[in-house]
Amino acid sequence: MSEAPAVTTTKEECWVPNILAFACNWCSYAGADLAGVSRLQYPPTVKILRVMCSSRVEPSFILKALKDGADGVLIAGCHIGDCHYIDGNKNAEIRINNTKKALEKLGLDKRLRLEWISASEGLRFSEVIKEFTDEIKKLGQNPVKEVKVNE
Amino acid sequence: MRRVSKTSPRSSIYNANVYGLDTKDIWTCLTCGLCPIGCPQQVDFLSFIREERAGKEPLEVAHLGVFTEFAELSSKLDGVKPEKSDSKYGYFPGCVDQLGLFLHDVKTDFGEITTSSLKLLDKLGIKPQIMNMKCCGHDVLWQGKKDVFDRLKKLNLKYIKESGIDTLITSCAECYRTFSKDYDMGIKVVHTSELLDKLGLKINADVTYHDSCRLGRHMGLYDAPRKALTANGVTVKEMEHSKENALCCGVSNFMNCNEQTKALRIARMNEAEATGAKTLITTCSKCLAHFNCLKNEKDAVKKYDMDVVDLTVYLARKLDENVKKEGPALDSSKMENI
Repeated sequence: MSEAPAVTTTKEECWVPNILAFACNWCSYAGADLAGVSRLQYPPTVKILRVMCSSRVEPSFILKALKDGADGVLIAGCHIGDCHYIDGNKNAEIRINNTKKALEKLGLDKRLRLEWISASEGLRFSEVIKEFTDEIKKLGQNPVKEVKVNE
Repeated sequence: MRRVSKTSPRSSIYNANVYGLDTKDIWTCLTCGLCPIGCPQQVDFLSFIREERAGKEPLEVAHLGVFTEFAELSSKLDGVKPEKSDSKYGYFPGCVDQLGLFLHDVKTDFGEITTSSLKLLDKLGIKPQIMNMKCCGHDVLWQGKKDVFDRLKKLNLKYIKESGIDTLITSCAECYRTFSKDYDMGIKVVHTSELLDKLGLKINADVTYHDSCRLGRHMGLYDAPRKALTANGVTVKEMEHSKENALCCGVSNFMNCNEQTKALRIARMNEAEATGAKTLITTCSKCLAHFNCLKNEKDAVKKYDMDVVDLTVYLARKLDENVKKEGPALDSSKMENI
């Protein structure tokens, strides 16, 4: 048994972003699936959560994710006009943009992103993840502080 | 304990203190403060509810707790430094921005409260510095999240100390209550309604005034908002229940939004309608949100032909109208002379 030599890197260097993605069942989740089937490479920084529609994502979900230490939150839905529920993504757009404005006050607005990805855009999905990961890497870690539970 | 109703304050105290039960009642309470008014023994029921709630999980928080999450998120972030200013007055807008953004379907411009207040303060010759603080923590405190409240309080107190103000002005009844009673800052806290009686407007209109629980029963400020209206020529038509007996708007600190609270809102709006006035004035941004929510409901049970506006917004609108009318007003005085 030979143990791997301990790599002496600083905390900053070994840090990888932790992104939460809400993907709509009908388009973006299928798009992510296509990216997988087509063996398109994208960084393993994203955790995908399937929701039935992008408008299912409440502002409180986003705030909770950021509060609990997610470095970025991505909401992906169908293109405008393609929504399975007719106008769900229009509602989502209003909601997410409002949440973004609220987050501006806290300086976290760049950590939230809304993208339209259809089921045939596997390539686009991988590109969005790459781009968002780079952006979050530039921004650095989520500034929320750890709070002791029994404070 | 059979003789008391389900929502009796007595049963919740009895169950919690005598039986040690974790009762639902402590979460259904609206903390409007109507029970202590009627209590012959002067039991401090509000403090009981607050202490009992501390550290426990709420049964239900309206709007999926988006305001609570926002407060918690901001409590974990560093605050900003105050901008350099010589003004001894500080104006805190409260969370009107978030209210407007997260309650966009209520169709109310909450930001107008801030602009109106500043306009009126400017008219009175007060140029305050805008306090870019965190949430005052009122909601989280009453939802039992004492730790979050303490973090917010620490950040806010630091900000206030650095800004060097000696009077904090706020136009929100809840902020006023929290800064006055739960902060111990040693500086003066003023609600905008206490300053507005010197505006010198001449408004000829009938309105009715809703006493918000935080400003009224919690802080005992009944006459200041009325004076702010009557001193400017407005006739205040009192509702059936007013001042210390005023009915609650139904939802305090974003805890309950259900059939019962809706019934309370309808009861209050009916009372307001019965006065015959076409405008309902409030001093709390949450009362404003809840009445307007009822008014703008899609399948409303009853249509209310009534404006629900904040005191500062109402006065600022009238001030603007006066400025526009100044020309014709002079003409009419000339007519009288002739």
